[in-house]
Amino acid sequence: MNIVVNGNNRTVESPPLTPLLHVLREELDVLSPKAGCENGGCGACTVLVDGTPRRSCLTAVGSVPDAQVTTVEGLGAPESMSDVQQAFVHYCAAQCGFCTPGMIIAATAYLEGGGSADRAEISEALAGHVCRCTGYLKILDAVAAARDGGFDLSTTAESPHTTVLT
Amino acid sequence: MAIHTGRGIASIEYPTGMNQNGDPSQAWIKVKPDGRVDVFSGTSDIGNGSKTIQTQIVADTIGVPYDWVTYDNSNTDSSPVCTGTFASRATFVAGKAVLKAAQRVRERILEVAGQEMEISPEDLEIDDGEVMAKGAPTKKLSVGDVAAAATWGHGELITGTGAQLNPYAAISDPTTGEVDGVPHAAISYAACAAEVEVNDETGEVRVVNLTQAYDVGKAINPALVEGQIEGGAIMGLGLGVLEDSYPYYPSAEHRGADFGSYYNPSSADLPELHNIIIENPSADGPYGAKGIGEMSNNAQPAAIATAVYDAVGVWVTELPITPERVLRALDARDAGGGPRREGKHVIFDEELSINTVGTGKTWTAEV
Repeated sequence: MNIVVNGNNRTVESPPLTPLLHVLREELDVLSPKAGCENGGCGACTVLVDGTPRRSCLTAVGSVPDAQVTTVEGLGAPESMSDVQQAFVHYCAAQCGFCTPGMIIAATAYLEGGGSADRAEISEALAGHVCRCTGYLKILDAVAAARDGGFDLSTTAESPHTTVLT
Repeated sequence: MAIHTGRGIASIEYPTGMNQNGDPSQAWIKVKPDGRVDVFSGTSDIGNGSKTIQTQIVADTIGVPYDWVTYDNSNTDSSPVCTGTFASRATFVAGKAVLKAAQRVRERILEVAGQEMEISPEDLEIDDGEVMAKGAPTKKLSVGDVAAAATWGHGELITGTGAQLNPYAAISDPTTGEVDGVPHAAISYAACAAEVEVNDETGEVRVVNLTQAYDVGKAINPALVEGQIEGGAIMGLGLGVLEDSYPYYPSAEHRGADFGSYYNPSSADLPELHNIIIENPSADGPYGAKGIGEMSNNAQPAAIATAVYDAVGVWVTELPITPERVLRALDARDAGGGPRREGKHVIFDEELSINTVGTGKTWTAEV
């Protein structure tokens, strides 16, 4: 069967019940979707399937023939990052980075679906994505600002939540 | 049914690095013929940002741009020894090792530049990748030219090593636990104020605000310090009200097997967070830094427990403060008994702490 990964036609030889996650990582060498819990609980494997965020660990590749699959590699490259990717850099919204691809995919789908900059709504949209490093705050700030775009990536955003005393 | 609001506060004192010391880190730096700098260290960056911070330390100490420095911690076999990333030691201990190595590299660059420029090394300084005569900045030579001269002219490699080891403080008197040296390298202080809402019918505790102050010595990278504080806040919230690994009701066979049954905090649990970073320099950390890794998730559970007491008048003496535990404590209170609060006896060594911190300065913040 064939799937389209980040705009490229790819032939898949894995059996149809193979999770899309394993097809991407092990057969097609697309490594940004992460194998976290592998039972749908953590969100680290999330990719866009025909524009909709899906847990690739729970998606049998045979159920999405000829689908358009988008991972963070398909959203932008280091020299041409998407607004959401730039926001994550500018707001320092990644630490170990394991949850980051899934977060960026979910945030992209949320904003493309007309999501607002409201903290509670963003929080609801990302609630299925576990992060154990950041405390979520910088991620929520990044997504709230992402729609504005135009980030100066030579600087880091000033946090409105911090006071420094010297 | 009523929602009760409560506030509580807890503070901690945290020794940076391993208790009793004895945990070395080493680093090796070499300069390529074009002036670019390679740092070899065994410090693993587990998302705490030590790779970024140690690269900053090396770049600033030598006097070259950040992006000239390549930090290679990819091979713990060929790298010098680093005891590891734990005990908040990556910036404090391993950062000091790369600082010392960078100071030696800087000295060697100045010596070679002095020979090339026929100026005494003491009269030279390095800034943004250029060696300049003090007071006469037009007399200059790029670090790349210095490294090229060392490579092709002097036949040498500009290199430097550094190591940091606070000696192990062995216990000299097993009865009292007295040690034969200073048992820790720098003391950090932190405080957390928690605001909670407690539902007296369901027992549910919702944390609505965590305001936290951390003495980090020096925030070498403020955004990464914020990341540690905010991440620690949510880990502490999880320890305080959500996360439990054992025991399970009614037995361990019923423990959670996946993220659906293990209650780690999600973005929906995020309270208002306020970070207060206090820069109270340490005497021996790189640029005055202390550790901010582990201490960032210590104070929240205790602050939440005191806030629950403030809200509903019962001490929940086990973590996490689950709805079941809150309801049992409320039932016990209503029955006229109830769990008593029991703390361990803590001996505060004022002389040791004051000597390590040194200033006695106080800070206040409006948040």
